Amino acid sequence: MNLPLLLAGPLGVGLPVDASKEGWRIDEMIIVTSLFVGLIFLIMVVWMVWSILRYGPEHEAVFDHGARRSSWIWTVLVALLIFVVVDGDLLVRTLIAVNRIYWNFEWAEQQRNAIRVEVNAHQWAWSIRYAGPDGKFNTADDVVTLNEVVLPLDAPALFQVGSTDVLHSFNVPNMRMKVDAVPGTINRMWFTPAKVGDYEIGCAQHCGANHYKMQGMVHVVEPARFQQWLAAASANSRQAYDPQDIGAQWGWDWAEHTRVR
Amino acid sequence: MIAEEHLDREALEMAEALQPIHHPPETFFRKYIWSLDHKVIAKQYLWAGLIFLLVGGTLAMLIRWQWAFPGRPVPILGRVFLGDSGGVIGPAQYMQVFTMHGLIMIFFAITPILIGAFGNFCIPLLIGARDMAFPWLNALSFWVFALSLCLVVGSFLGDLGAAGAGWTTYPPLSTNVGTPGSGQTLMVAAVFVTGVSSIMGGINYITTVIRLRAPGMTYLRMPLTVWGLVLTAVLNVLFIPVLGSAALLLLFDRLLGTQFYLAGLATQGGGDPILFQHLFWIFGHPEVYILILPAWGIVGDLLAFFSRKPANWYRGSVLAMVAVTTLSAVVYGHHMFTTGINPLLGQGFMILTLIISIPAELLFLNWLRTIWKGSIRLTTPMLFALGMVFVFGLGGLTGLYLGAVAPDLYLHDTMFVVGHFHFTMAAASFVASFAALYFWFPKMFGRSMSEPLGKAHFWITVVGITLVFGGQLLVGYSGQHRRLYDPFVYQYLQPLRALNRYTSYAAFALFAGQLLFIWNFFNSLVRGPKAEANPWKVGTLEWSIPSPPPIHNFDHLPIVRRGPHELSSPEVRKRLGRDWIGQAEVLPDERDVPAASPAHG
Repeated sequence: MNLPLLLAGPLGVGLPVDASKEGWRIDEMIIVTSLFVGLIFLIMVVWMVWSILRYGPEHEAVFDHGARRSSWIWTVLVALLIFVVVDGDLLVRTLIAVNRIYWNFEWAEQQRNAIRVEVNAHQWAWSIRYAGPDGKFNTADDVVTLNEVVLPLDAPALFQVGSTDVLHSFNVPNMRMKVDAVPGTINRMWFTPAKVGDYEIGCAQHCGANHYKMQGMVHVVEPARFQQWLAAASANSRQAYDPQDIGAQWGWDWAEHTRVR
Repeated sequence: MIAEEHLDREALEMAEALQPIHHPPETFFRKYIWSLDHKVIAKQYLWAGLIFLLVGGTLAMLIRWQWAFPGRPVPILGRVFLGDSGGVIGPAQYMQVFTMHGLIMIFFAITPILIGAFGNFCIPLLIGARDMAFPWLNALSFWVFALSLCLVVGSFLGDLGAAGAGWTTYPPLSTNVGTPGSGQTLMVAAVFVTGVSSIMGGINYITTVIRLRAPGMTYLRMPLTVWGLVLTAVLNVLFIPVLGSAALLLLFDRLLGTQFYLAGLATQGGGDPILFQHLFWIFGHPEVYILILPAWGIVGDLLAFFSRKPANWYRGSVLAMVAVTTLSAVVYGHHMFTTGINPLLGQGFMILTLIISIPAELLFLNWLRTIWKGSIRLTTPMLFALGMVFVFGLGGLTGLYLGAVAPDLYLHDTMFVVGHFHFTMAAASFVASFAALYFWFPKMFGRSMSEPLGKAHFWITVVGITLVFGGQLLVGYSGQHRRLYDPFVYQYLQPLRALNRYTSYAAFALFAGQLLFIWNFFNSLVRGPKAEANPWKVGTLEWSIPSPPPIHNFDHLPIVRRGPHELSSPEVRKRLGRDWIGQAEVLPDERDVPAASPAHG
């Protein structure tokens, strides 16, 4: 069942295609909450219209303060009922999703096929860095790209995101995930690509005049193709490596920065 | 009974002694410029707020134009303001436009209208006082506000253009790293100065409500409007100093070379951009309630008045508003779920945020039960009050998604957020402001506004608002980021071109529809029929004195005997032959019956 597609209308309204393994939880929360919220709003509007039509000027108002215990208790009970059902549903789902998945970086780090990517945001582009065959960042075999992230299918992709100038936000809508890029801090996020294809990266945090141009692309490919690409790109890097070019060595040691602030 | 009467008289004598009647001022300067009369100061705030509302609204039209027709020259306005670029909004100008739109609307339009104008006008009149507790401070707070308006105008004339770092003014973008130039500096200063004004106003409002309530006006007999305004004043006094400190540190960073908010390669020492976000949102989330609490109060009263029924469970509504005020201080972290916040903190803020929906639901249920089995009169103020319930319903319910961490990971910084807070802060606050303006206009200016024009204005406004901000919710749900100069550089946003354009058409219509209000307002001001003392037939104290009231409000301070909405009481109907009774009105043989009924029945 793909509810988001049901909601996609002629005006292009609808959640972007979910290309991640974990995003369905967010979609489901949004859809279920929308159903609850829609129902509550509908009841409210019907109540208001009914009252206006039924209790117009010709109706004699009932002198009732609603302050008797037998009266206000219903107000409180209905409020609590809505809270327990609607907020409760959202709360429980979120606690499970966040603790088990979205903010469970330890689990993702332990996966043997996990891919690690460093992102350095700056006005107005994303610098991307892979550790290369030696598994260490900031060495000669690092693969460095601009605005292009290549990821293998079905492997958890871990990102550490920093910024050199102002705030940015590394956002991949098709993976339902974003995290702010903050100067002086390394933030983390992860997701598992589940569909081969190209997915846009955008900057979600206002970062200056060309904020809108801060685009990038996630290319999700078959694992074998990914390995080919990484090997070739790494070989290129080693050839082009220039130890004097300090500006190009912006990477950081992965292990040191796994603590969340 | 005799003892109680004696006490009343004693309290009255004390109140009269505390608030002697002064001679009315005679010079033009003392009458209209440096007036100490809360009613004149209210009008000063109203004029200032309405003018800047027009400025903020015009900026909104520029944003909508850009989203409908990215890069195309703006008709009319473009020729006037963007001559250099042939009327086209450039990316740098665009960021100034949305930044100034947000800051002006929040600090220089809603705040002066809802809190400055109606706070000043209503508080003394509704609690039976002759003026504010500190009239001189009151005048000062307006003129300090006026100074901040000069800084805003100065920002537009800044050497590198106006402020451009977004209304949230996040560093490092808002430091010289991202937005050098005097425009940004002046705007940060303007927010600081207007904060000083708000704190002075807040202290005045709180003191007035504590000290100058008429004899018998217990806290639980105050109109809900007063409750909303005084709780807002409490939040202002508590949290604007935090905003002030954030702004001051930012000014230091900009002007003195400090690095409170700077971090990264080029800095030494321990600055932190996230520090600003904490300070900003410690204030910023209460600010949302600062702007909505007066609206809740006003709507709570108006729904009762025009349903000709007591407000349902008055005490519950008061409790709910107090609960929201308290909780508003401990939820701000939900604005920072994507900043790399500690997961435990994030989840704590989420739970506290969701708890706020309980008092909010109580308020809604009370409103809905107030109109149930009433005798509803669809006057213009009533329509706007009902409209506020409608738009705030949409705003409040869409807040749920954003209060929970997981959906927020997707929705954060999208147009969904923009739609949500426009429904609450913009739509609900302005719709309630209009309700208040239509309701108190006769008392303020002594003339009546046109009802047919008011109703037409209502329909255009509420339908327009729903379409415009509804359109924002939909494109945000579909993934459109906020603050994009051209959203359609993204492939996945291409299909939303048409929806963005339709939403812009609705916004243009909404803007044009306000002409009805402008015409109605000025025409009624000059030519409206003279208003009677109590045109709406309700019992709160301001309607027991002439329209407009004399400078000292009450010739004799009233003794309050009952709550604010004792409407359709069978006893009153039997004895007076009408469905309303003044809060201080004495029933023909009341001295013979046991004490008057308490506010909440």
